[in-house]
Amino acid sequence: MVEIFINDRSIKVPEGITVLKAAERAGIHIPHICYHEAFAPEGSCRMCLVEIEGHLCLELACATQVKEGMKVFTETENVRQARQGVLEFLLAEHPMDCPICDKAGECTLQDYYEQYGLFESTFMEQKERKDKNVPLGKGLILDRERCVLCTRCVRFLRDITQTEELGVFERGVYSEIGIFDQRLIDNNYAGNLTELCPVGAITDKDFRFKTRNWFLEKGASICPLCSRGCNIFIEHHPGFARFDVPKRVYRITSRVTSREKDQKEKGYWICDIGRYGYSYMDQDRAEKIVLKQGDSALDPKKAVTYAADQVKKLIYKNKLNRLGVISNTWLTNEELFLVKKIFTENLESQKVFFPTTAQREADDLLLTSDRTPNKKGAQEIGFSLEAISEGQVFDGTELLFVFWASPFDLDQLTGLMSKIKEVQTKILFTPFEREWNKDFDLVIPTAVPAEKAGSFTNEDERIQHFGPVLYSPGQARAEWEWLVSLGKEIKVDFKSYARLSSPFDVFQMMKKKIKFFGK
Amino acid sequence: MNKVPEKVLTQNFGVEHLFKIDVYMKKGGYKTLKKVIKELKPEEVLNEVKAAHLRGRGGAGFPAGVKWSFVPQDADKPKYLCVNADEGEPGTFKDRYIMSHNPHMLLEGIVLTSYAVGIHHAFIYIRGEYENIARRLERAILEAEKKGFVGKNLLNSGFDLQITVHRGAGAYICGEETALLESLEGKRGHPRLKPPFPAAVGLFQCPTVINNVETLSNVPYILEKGADWFIQQGIPEDGGTRIFGVSGKVKNPGIYELPVGSSLKELIFKHAGGMKSNKKLKAVIPGGLSSPILKPDEIDIPMDCESLMKADSMLGSGAVIVLDEGVAIIDVLRKVTQFYSHESCGQCTPCRIGNSWIHKTVQRIYQGKGKKQDLDTIQRLASNMLAKTLCPLGDAAAMPILAIVKKFRKELESFIQGTIK
Repeated sequence: MVEIFINDRSIKVPEGITVLKAAERAGIHIPHICYHEAFAPEGSCRMCLVEIEGHLCLELACATQVKEGMKVFTETENVRQARQGVLEFLLAEHPMDCPICDKAGECTLQDYYEQYGLFESTFMEQKERKDKNVPLGKGLILDRERCVLCTRCVRFLRDITQTEELGVFERGVYSEIGIFDQRLIDNNYAGNLTELCPVGAITDKDFRFKTRNWFLEKGASICPLCSRGCNIFIEHHPGFARFDVPKRVYRITSRVTSREKDQKEKGYWICDIGRYGYSYMDQDRAEKIVLKQGDSALDPKKAVTYAADQVKKLIYKNKLNRLGVISNTWLTNEELFLVKKIFTENLESQKVFFPTTAQREADDLLLTSDRTPNKKGAQEIGFSLEAISEGQVFDGTELLFVFWASPFDLDQLTGLMSKIKEVQTKILFTPFEREWNKDFDLVIPTAVPAEKAGSFTNEDERIQHFGPVLYSPGQARAEWEWLVSLGKEIKVDFKSYARLSSPFDVFQMMKKKIKFFGK
Repeated sequence: MNKVPEKVLTQNFGVEHLFKIDVYMKKGGYKTLKKVIKELKPEEVLNEVKAAHLRGRGGAGFPAGVKWSFVPQDADKPKYLCVNADEGEPGTFKDRYIMSHNPHMLLEGIVLTSYAVGIHHAFIYIRGEYENIARRLERAILEAEKKGFVGKNLLNSGFDLQITVHRGAGAYICGEETALLESLEGKRGHPRLKPPFPAAVGLFQCPTVINNVETLSNVPYILEKGADWFIQQGIPEDGGTRIFGVSGKVKNPGIYELPVGSSLKELIFKHAGGMKSNKKLKAVIPGGLSSPILKPDEIDIPMDCESLMKADSMLGSGAVIVLDEGVAIIDVLRKVTQFYSHESCGQCTPCRIGNSWIHKTVQRIYQGKGKKQDLDTIQRLASNMLAKTLCPLGDAAAMPILAIVKKFRKELESFIQGTIK
C-alpha cells in the first residue's frame, strides 16, 4: 500500500494501480472516454488529464501509476480547462443529433458536457460530413459522424473476441472506424459494442428507434439462456398512462458486479444469445388457467384443489407409484427443492424425469454447451438427471405433472407428446401458450425467470440470487407459488409448507437440509 | 566564433563517388571501426559517446549516449537499432545529403552503435520518397557485407550485425519514434503511449535504440578523435557540429555544416549569402516547421538547443527557413496549419480535431471571411493542444501557430480587416 493525496485528501491504495482507479476509490470521478477497465489504457481521448505535483505537464490519470507521496489534483483551473478543451474539440465535429440518437440520455459526451463543459460553441466552420448508416454486421449500425474514435470497439474485437473485424481507416480528422474488405462482424459478442460505445456511434437494429432509454427501468436479473448465468439488467418499459407500449422488455444489458469484475476480461460482457434472446418474455405467454374438462377458466385456488385431488385419489388407492413428474432445469433452486420435497419425499415417487436437453456448441468466452440455467442446482439438490429414463416415467403412470419452462427445445416436448397423451391425467405448468397445451387436463400458467425471485446455481457452482423484474401476466405465478399451494393442499406435510411464503423461506429450509446451499 | 569552422560530416562531400566503399575507405573510412572493434569494449564505446555530449539531431535533442545506456543489458530479448531516416520535418534535407553522398559513414556509425549497445539487427527506416537513396543504402550495405564490415562475425570479432532498409510510406507521424516502430512492425503508424519508452519496450516489444541519421554519422568521428575533441567542436553541453539546411529567400540555399552554437545571423548572412534580391528579412523559422518563428531582431542567437529554448523556439532538426518581406504571413500560417491538419494521425482528440479546426478557421480568414476574434480562437485552440496530446505532433503544430499569431498579430489583423491583401 502507498499513501497518495488526491485534492489534498490522503488515501491509501495498493501499489501499481493507476491514478484513475485510486481516485475512484476515494470517490472522485475523473472523466474518461477511451479508457475501459477491461483494456489496457489507450490514452487517446485526453479527457482524464490531471495535475500531478512536480510534473511539468498534465498527466493521464488512466495510464499513470501511483507512487508513494504523489499529489494529484483533479479540479484545478488547468485541469478544468484541458477537459473543456477536449470536450470542445469533440463537440466541434459532433453532429449534435441527440434528439434522434438512441444513446441520448446515457451518452458519455452528453453527461460530461453537463458536468465539465457548459460553454458556448465557438466553432464557426463546416463540420466534416461522414457516413451515418454503415452496416457492420449482426444488426450493428455505425454512425461515423457521432464517433469520437475512442477505439473501444476496435480493442474489444482485437483483445476480447480476437476476431479483429474493425479497424481505424484514413487519417487526421477523416479518421473513421470501419470493416475491412466487406468482412462483416460475425461473432457472438458483437452486441457488447453498443454498450461499449461511449456515444451513439454503434447502435443495433434490435433497439434502434424503438424507444428512448429514459423510459426504461433497469431490473437486475440473471441470464437463463445458458449455465454461465451472466448478470444482466433487463431494461423494460413500465408503460404509459394513456397508451399501450407494444412490448415490455426492450433490451438486455450487462451488469457488472464486483464479483464479475474478478473475472477480468470475462466479467464485463454478455453474449448475443443472451442479449437478443429476450422476446420469449413477451411472446405467446400463457395467462389463464385452463381446465380441459369443461374448457373453462378457473381461479387459482380451484386449480390447485383440482391438482391436489388427483394426487389424493392416488393416495387413497395406494397407487402412488403411478405418479410421474417431468421436470426441467429451468426451474430455480427453490422450485427444484420443492419438486423434490413434494414428489420424492412426501409422495415417495421415484419417477421425476428430466428430459435431456440438447448440448450445443460452447465458445471459449462465456457461452456454455448446456443451454439451461440450473443443471448444477438440480444436481446439488439431489436429482441425478439421467437416473430416470423416458420409459420409466411413463411406465404405468396414471397421473403426470409436466413442468415446461424452457422457451426453446420445443422438439423434445413434441417428441414426448405422443406418450404424454396416453397418460390418464396430465397437468402442465408452463409460461407459454403452445400447441400442445390443449392436450393437457389442466394447464397452469407460470412465470419466466425475469418474473420470479429465486436463485440459479451456475456452471462454476456459484449460487446467484435474483428478484422479480417484471410482473407475471394474468393468472401466471411463479412455480414456487403453485408448488407451495399444492404442497399445502395435498396435506401430507401441511405444516412445513404453511411456513413458506417466499423463495427466501424455501432457501432457508434448503440451507439447513443441503450442505451445498448452507455454505 | 571567429575560428574557421572545421567540417566533419561533410568534409568529403565533394569527393567523387564517395558513396562507393573503395572511395570511402581511401578517405579513411572504416579505419575507426577496425580499431574500435579490436581495441575497445562495448562499455568503453558507450562511455566515450556519453562523454562527447552528442545530442540527438532529429529534433528533440536528447543526449544519444544517455539514450543508449537506458537499454537494459541483461534482458534475454534481442535488442534493435532503428535509424530514423524518415526526415519528414518540412525544411529539413540534411539526412538525404548524408545518405546519398556518404552512406558508408552512416553504416559505420550504425555498426559502432550496435557494437556499443550489443545490437545484432539494425533497421534503417527511410521515408518512402527517398527511393533512390534507399537503393543506394542497400547497395552500400551489400558492399560493406562483402568487405566484412557488416554481417555475421564482422571483422572476425565474433560480433554479428544485420542491417535492413525499410521504406516508409511518407507519413510525417512515422518520424515520431513510437509511430515509426509501429510502422516498422507493419501496423498503422500510430504513436504509442509512453511510458514504457522504446529503450525498454520498443520494436517487437524488445529494447530498441532509435537515433537520427546525422546523430549516428557523428559516432565514427567521436571514436576516431575522442570525446574532448568533439566537445571542442561545439559547446560543452552540446558537442560537435551540425548540418544546417538553409532554405527560403536566401542567395545560396543549401546545407552548411557549422559548429553547434554558431550564430543564426551569420549562418544566414555570411554562409548562405544573405537575402535574395536584397529584400528585407521578415522572419526565420530556425529548426524545421514546428519550431516557433523568430523575428529579425531575435536572430542574433547561437544555434544550440539551450539558447533557442531560452528564446522560446527550438533548434529541432536545424532546418532554417528564411522568409523575406515579400511573403504574406497569412500564407505561412495557412501552409503550417494545412500541413499539420493533413499529417495529424487522428489518434488523440486535441490533435485530430484541433488541427483541422484551426486550419478551417485560417482557411476562412484567407478567403477574406475572417473576424478579429478568430485569432483569439486560434490561440485558445492551439493552447488546448499544447502539451496535451499523446505524442509531440500536437506540440509541433501548436508551437509555430501560437508564435505566428502572437508575433504577427498586427499583420494578420490588418489582413482580416482587408487593409492588406
